[in-house]
Amino acid sequence: MTNQVLKIEELAVAYKVRGSEIQAVQNISLSIGRGQSFGLVGESGCGKSTTAWAVLNFLGANGYIKRGHILFQGQDLVGKSNEELRRLRGDQIAMVYQDPMQALNPSLRLGDQLTEVLTVHREMNHAEAYERSVQMLERVHMPDAAEVMRRYPHQISGGQQQRVVIAMALLNNPALLIMDEPTTALDVTVEAAVLDLIQELRHEFDTAILFISHNLGVVARVCDHVGVMYAGEMVERAAVAELFAQPQHPYTQGLMRCVPRLGADKASSQLYPIPGRVPPPHARPSGCMYAPRCDYARQKCHTERPTLRQLPSGTAVRCHFAEEIDPQQWVPTADVQISPRTAPENATAEPILTISNLKKYYKVAGNSIRDVLGMGQTRYVKAVEDASFSVRRGSTLGIVGESGCGKSTLIKTIIGLENSTSGRAEFMGFDITGNLAQRDEHLIRELQMVFQNPDSTMNPAYTVGQQIARPMQRFRTVPAPKIRAEVVKLLEAMRLGEAYYDRLPRQLSGGEKQRVGIARALASHPSLVLCDEPVSALDVSVQAAILNLLLEIQQEYGTTLVFIAHDLSVVRFFSDDVAVMYLGQVMEIGPAEAIYAPPYHPYTEALLSAVPIPDPTIQQKRIRLEGSVPSAINPPSGCRFHTRCPRRHLLADAGKICETETPPLREVGPEHRIFCHIPEADLRSFEAVISK
Amino acid sequence: MFVKDCMTRHPIMVGPETFAAEAQRLMSETHVRHLPVVGNGKKLMGLVSPTSFALKPDLLSSLNVWEISRRLSNLTVGQVMTKREDVQTITADRTAERAALILTEHKIGCLPVVEDGDIVIGILTETDILRALQEMLGLPAGGVRVTMRVPDRAGEVARLLNVIAGYNWSVMGLGTFPTRRMAGFYDVVVKLKDVPLATVRAGLNDVLGQQIVDIRDIV
Repeated sequence: MTNQVLKIEELAVAYKVRGSEIQAVQNISLSIGRGQSFGLVGESGCGKSTTAWAVLNFLGANGYIKRGHILFQGQDLVGKSNEELRRLRGDQIAMVYQDPMQALNPSLRLGDQLTEVLTVHREMNHAEAYERSVQMLERVHMPDAAEVMRRYPHQISGGQQQRVVIAMALLNNPALLIMDEPTTALDVTVEAAVLDLIQELRHEFDTAILFISHNLGVVARVCDHVGVMYAGEMVERAAVAELFAQPQHPYTQGLMRCVPRLGADKASSQLYPIPGRVPPPHARPSGCMYAPRCDYARQKCHTERPTLRQLPSGTAVRCHFAEEIDPQQWVPTADVQISPRTAPENATAEPILTISNLKKYYKVAGNSIRDVLGMGQTRYVKAVEDASFSVRRGSTLGIVGESGCGKSTLIKTIIGLENSTSGRAEFMGFDITGNLAQRDEHLIRELQMVFQNPDSTMNPAYTVGQQIARPMQRFRTVPAPKIRAEVVKLLEAMRLGEAYYDRLPRQLSGGEKQRVGIARALASHPSLVLCDEPVSALDVSVQAAILNLLLEIQQEYGTTLVFIAHDLSVVRFFSDDVAVMYLGQVMEIGPAEAIYAPPYHPYTEALLSAVPIPDPTIQQKRIRLEGSVPSAINPPSGCRFHTRCPRRHLLADAGKICETETPPLREVGPEHRIFCHIPEADLRSFEAVISK
Repeated sequence: MFVKDCMTRHPIMVGPETFAAEAQRLMSETHVRHLPVVGNGKKLMGLVSPTSFALKPDLLSSLNVWEISRRLSNLTVGQVMTKREDVQTITADRTAERAALILTEHKIGCLPVVEDGDIVIGILTETDILRALQEMLGLPAGGVRVTMRVPDRAGEVARLLNVIAGYNWSVMGLGTFPTRRMAGFYDVVVKLKDVPLATVRAGLNDVLGQQIVDIRDIV
């Protein structure tokens, strides 16, 4: 075929490490045509990025291509001189990385960085290059492009930075664009807009895209073909519709069972984590890489390595028995089987936590001379504004919202890490707004927290056992001689076992660390556990295991959970009630199923339309928010969402009232409240965002 | 139809230091007949086509077989290419028919598409023009293709299309040519979708002053 821009054949990449070598990637084959996009998905450490770097030969000093060919426009890149590669990278291949801030030079104006591409590569004169750059910024829908040219990278938002990086990559009209997790660091609403942009540009510039992501939903949205990677090998390669309709490889099937479908809840569906963990590169099995974790593994799988073979449907799969495996017939093995959950009968349970009109303002230190002398007006970041809700005993409240909306501040204020500015918070009937140092030890014991990043919350010098034992000693919940037994019991509940007692945090994987974090939070038998994004740093298969674990704990101990996450499918799955926050304000709160169906708050509607769904057949209404979240120092008057609200025009005078008056918190259903001026009947008339 | 709509973007390109043998292999493996030769920043330096590799007979006769092979193995694209000043180019915003005119006037097979001076952004070959012709006349989809002979005066095509619009037929391809060997007339080729041939014949038979020259089903 003549239109293949990139063709990788049987690629193997190895890293030399202390005399031996590690095979990072092997047997990768794929091809991408003009204007096509190919998605590489897989969990962390499976070799996605290594594959992409191999194309550019960015493998570092100790990495090299061991076998195989990388044909770019028919020419083999393997063995090309550095000078030739340098020219290709500059002229025909471009790359967009995960973190836009690292791709931009913080000390240069964006305009200089953009024009440099053209003045260096095309020897264009500066004025012309400048004009071309502005045009390109407009192409990537950058608001106020000319103004952005004069700014520094830190002066624009993360989504805008990524747009600048994409614009920079496209300035030289590359034939191949490699995108390594380009939207992972972005909020869902921004992510949706960037993905739309990628789709649009691909068709306009006919650029071939190699798209790397761990998120199946994102891949479903932008790719034509998908390769699933596992332990350095490609285990399945298929057209996107085919892959999601009929995943052939047991690993792909397992991945799909790990992800909660948007709209699924914990009463009606279940997540099945993949047992075991990815084998490290030096200890890979001799047979099929996936055999140790595969439910269908037979003798042959353990001895003979399968090849990537083509099925009649066009899908290529690396499995001996792909034809015989029917995912419909799959039954979970006994150890992942979780007893069917009954819906918690807590509708009448008394609230354990009641928050009313809680506010948290942070003072902003100004740096003008007036501020230093204390004469300036004090300004505040209004991080949480008038939050009111209650959590019933034994239920789960999910909190969602974009970054910077005050989710974390809210729970930090509840737990006492931050003092509230005003308002009331009652936990088990006791006021918890006061100083943490004066808080009753009993209350501290009953209120615990699980943090997002288990790495930074565990003391690296203490063993797992010591860390879990600490709260028990501190709160004297367990007599000293019995502590060890109690810790082991907890470890077993976390499916870790006694062997972990003496391990240090660095000897654990990310998922295991988070289990220890949860065990520590539970050590004092708290009534309420606050979870701040407990699963967002984890791979999907691990995420499923942690979510299941939290559910089990909740059932067994009747623990109440407040759960923060930015992933709406996870929150829907996990929570009984959901609160949607925007810029410090709770916009909508109610039972989970009510939040995900009309009537919506316009912001909830936009969030839902932005969620990447791992199913290309689902129709999603396209609502994109304009601009970025305004500053919390000077939040917009009236309704805080009015500057970006796509539904404002439904009101008289194009929503004049939204700018001037704070909207009412309107009861639209049992326990379901929406903070909006738009009348309930109109909100009800919105179509559902997601339809089959 | 503009050049930017029918050109091939991101053509396969080579640098002038590429060995001629390598370029030839690339051409045969990828089934491409023209390779733009570019320097830094995709700046056009020349063009290689199959004829570039032909050796002059007098040169061949003056060398012995060993000298030939040594000469061939050291030959680079830069030495055999058609130099920039002899390469015709076009910009993306020009019309497809202008591109076709340049191709026929110079009796060449391809035009590198450039912008900003000499930066190659695509290539337009005979094949692309021929594809544009097919699309203009509604291929590869099926339909009824009718050729009407109309007098060369204002309003005739409009009249024909009005009739077609009256029947609510949809036009999937349209082209006009001066009638060969008959001055003062034009042949209008119209391709219609989802309508039986007989209906079209009956419907267009009595358009005043126009005549069906040919009508056929394209499947």
